[in-house]
Amino acid sequence: MFPGVDGFHWSPAHITFLTVFGIVLMAIGTTMLIVLWRTLRDVRSGRGARIRWTEDFEDLPVNERLCRHALSGTAPGRVCPRALDCRECAEHPVYAAREISASAGIPCGLDYPAQRYYHRGHTWVEPLEDGCFAIGMDDLAQRIAGPIDQVRLPAPGETLHANGAAFTVSSRGRRLRLRAPMDGRVVATGGADQPWLVKVKPLEASPRLTHLLHGAEVSAWVRTELERLQVLVSPDATGPVLADGGMLHRDLPGAMPSAPWDEIAGAMLLEP
Amino acid sequence: MADMAWNAIVAVERKLKPRDAVRCPLPQFAAWLAPWMLLFAVGLYAGFLCLRDGLYHTNMDNRFVFGLWIFLDLAIIAFGGGAFFSGFLLYILRRRELGAIIRSAVLTGFLCYAGALLVLMLDVGQPLRAWFTFWHPNTHSMLTEVTFCISCYLLVLAIEYLPTILKNRQLRRIPQALVFGWELHRMMPVLAIVGAFLSFFHQGSLGGLYGVLRGRPFAFREGFAIWPATFFLFILSAIAVGPSFLIVVTRVVEFITRRKHAGGDVYRVLGRISGILLIVYVLAKSVDTIVWLNSTSPQSGFRAWEYYAWEPFGTWILFLEIAGLGLLPAIFLLYFSRTRPERLFVPALAACAGVALNRYVQTIQTQALSTLPFDQFVTYSPSWQEVAAFLGVIAFAVIVYSASYRYLNLFARSH
Amino acid sequence: MSTTRVTRKPRRYGMVIDIDRCTGCGACVIACAAENNLAPAHSKATERTGVTLVRVVTLSSAESPGTGFGQPRMAAYMPLMCMQCEHETPCVSVCPQQAVEVDKLSGIVEQMPQRCLGCRYCMTACPYHARSFNWADPQWPAGMEATLNPAVAPRMRGVVEKCDFCQSRLNAAQDEAAMNGQSDPGAYTPACVEACATNAIVFGDWNDPESPVSQAAASVETFAWLEKLGTQPKVRFHSRQPWIRAMAARGGAAPAKEVAHG
Repeated sequence: MFPGVDGFHWSPAHITFLTVFGIVLMAIGTTMLIVLWRTLRDVRSGRGARIRWTEDFEDLPVNERLCRHALSGTAPGRVCPRALDCRECAEHPVYAAREISASAGIPCGLDYPAQRYYHRGHTWVEPLEDGCFAIGMDDLAQRIAGPIDQVRLPAPGETLHANGAAFTVSSRGRRLRLRAPMDGRVVATGGADQPWLVKVKPLEASPRLTHLLHGAEVSAWVRTELERLQVLVSPDATGPVLADGGMLHRDLPGAMPSAPWDEIAGAMLLEP
Repeated sequence: MADMAWNAIVAVERKLKPRDAVRCPLPQFAAWLAPWMLLFAVGLYAGFLCLRDGLYHTNMDNRFVFGLWIFLDLAIIAFGGGAFFSGFLLYILRRRELGAIIRSAVLTGFLCYAGALLVLMLDVGQPLRAWFTFWHPNTHSMLTEVTFCISCYLLVLAIEYLPTILKNRQLRRIPQALVFGWELHRMMPVLAIVGAFLSFFHQGSLGGLYGVLRGRPFAFREGFAIWPATFFLFILSAIAVGPSFLIVVTRVVEFITRRKHAGGDVYRVLGRISGILLIVYVLAKSVDTIVWLNSTSPQSGFRAWEYYAWEPFGTWILFLEIAGLGLLPAIFLLYFSRTRPERLFVPALAACAGVALNRYVQTIQTQALSTLPFDQFVTYSPSWQEVAAFLGVIAFAVIVYSASYRYLNLFARSH
Repeated sequence: MSTTRVTRKPRRYGMVIDIDRCTGCGACVIACAAENNLAPAHSKATERTGVTLVRVVTLSSAESPGTGFGQPRMAAYMPLMCMQCEHETPCVSVCPQQAVEVDKLSGIVEQMPQRCLGCRYCMTACPYHARSFNWADPQWPAGMEATLNPAVAPRMRGVVEKCDFCQSRLNAAQDEAAMNGQSDPGAYTPACVEACATNAIVFGDWNDPESPVSQAAASVETFAWLEKLGTQPKVRFHSRQPWIRAMAARGGAAPAKEVAHG
């Protein structure tokens, strides 16, 4: 095929052949190189986290992609068109204005402090006095995880991206990845003595938290999540009932070891 | 103890599946795979025999040098045309409906081409010399073009399939996997164009393979420039039958999994495109046949009746190919795609059978007919090794498709 | 050291085979096998899976359109090998890796077994079915290797081979000519020609009007099989029998009549 190889002639047929297939191979090779280069660039620039989340979000089942206003009943059945980022959503303020604030309590003895902002993937943000934000796992996530053996936290200095991975916790050999509720640079990591796991300094001077759930919305959301959890634990509704007027068990996998906790955790923590 | 091991296997296997997808239990899946695995193993053994001892394990001979393998290669490559054509329709012509089945189409195409290449590696006498075609290519040979295009296109199909694999529940945890897949998906139009170009050329070259055989007047055709008429007919028939094959595959998958994977709109588009192209193909094939019977063949000293006087290869085969499995399926494809897309399966299957018959005639009848006036019409029936090796490749395709179906999302979720 | 470039006259070696002289004895087949190191047939070989560079075929007047009703049945024999097609040589253009080429100096169609992939596309392309594929490993019984011709390399399994007019003999003739200070051997004799007891095969250079082939071809009774394919075979045939020439005038085998077996 190549000049110098036996059988090659500088004839139109050989030159055409070499050119055409050279172009084809170069097109394939260049495409792959461009893809690799762009991937590296995305991963370095932090765009990678957003792309991953978009891809993950698209692969979630429909009932996990519902708009927050569908949970509260203002926009029934509405599927979120922008990967749960209400900050850029034009419809969100319209629906938010229509929300009727019926403040029902948090059911089943769950602990959802009112000063926190909740991510749909069951992490929360709490503004601190020093301008930083504390991030942690919410009560339901902790009960789904069960007793935590190990926590893998980002090192101070690392950047968290909203909806990207924030930290992973392990329980009984099962690893759960929790999503970061907001963008920020990690300044400290918490642990046993603090309720928060990571403390971040926001990337912007005044971060907007409109994509997170707060106030009256939280109880409607928790109720929906409990219903979802109920269906996941016993799809045929004959199994154990989670919220039968009483308290939700602190260690759900321990209480119901036969339920598919791997899938349940994926569904509740928005992990496809 | 065994119970625990089994539970562990089930638990691990479960984590590979898409979290929310409905899949059959593992024992049922294993039961489904078992016969295919057996078939694959027998095929591997047959292939091993051929590689170890030489091709005397086949029933091919010095007169019948191409047999079952080449015929089926040509047929499944024609069916694989659906991959490039649907990619072209989706990414270049923006037929969004096809997004629902594009991953399945790409996998189908990949398996068709990989299977064909596997069988080809058995079929040639010295598989280790395959690279010679790249090193000392004869640019005048249609087979050179076929080899280049098929290997390049297999590469393109593998790349196109990569994003789907990377979306597996476990693989997607690799931090860069989804980003890579997403970036790759953005470049898909480029790959679709390259794939269409390659596929276009080698489908044609496969036809040209027979059309250039000056020494075999049954196959020889005149044409345009360096390309005989069969070059264009093979392209046309491949893009006509590709969508039909996708209908067949999707329907079969829907039947086996008892789940609906594509809406009526997808079937409608595929059926209509297939039907229209099949009509064009039937017209072109008819014109070609008339020119060949009345002009090309007599010029070589062969009168047309000579070809069809050998039983069982009578003229009926010509009519069956063009009318019975060409025109008729085309009409029903067009009719059902307007009225009842759920009925497209039978005409689509018939269209596939028609194109397979064309490849059969081109390969088998060309070999069977003698050219020398004192020579005889020869017959051939494949040996068990040939059949087993081929079924092994089919089994391989079924196993890979089944595993892909189980662990990946081959069909877009219905929103 | 300087090399002198020898310009050789291009030859177009060919044959004229007199069918009327052929007795069907098969000596050419044996001589060819011995000369070209053909291994004994594999135990599983059939008549269509052996390796033969030349085979003897039977012609029957029953298959000839030139035989009228009531005429006596006639039979004839002839050797059939590669016809060394000159024009648009069917096997050359199809080979994907340039393993088949026409030698410009001798006109011989050469098959390179070392480069052959074994795809058998050239066999499909050949209108004369003049090629053999090595379906199995060539094997010689113990002791028989001693009879091998050292001038010819045996072919391996999985490659196609065919008659090359005893290329090794041509090479030997060229070597000898070079030693004698000549640039060109002119004439040489392939094994089958040498072995033929009735001198039915005439071999020579079509470019040379004085050569035996050119002389023999002058007759109107000389023809080529499948001439209308336009491949200009360099092996031509001769027969005074009209029924044989009538057979050659038409294309493929006639199915309407009973085909003689055996």
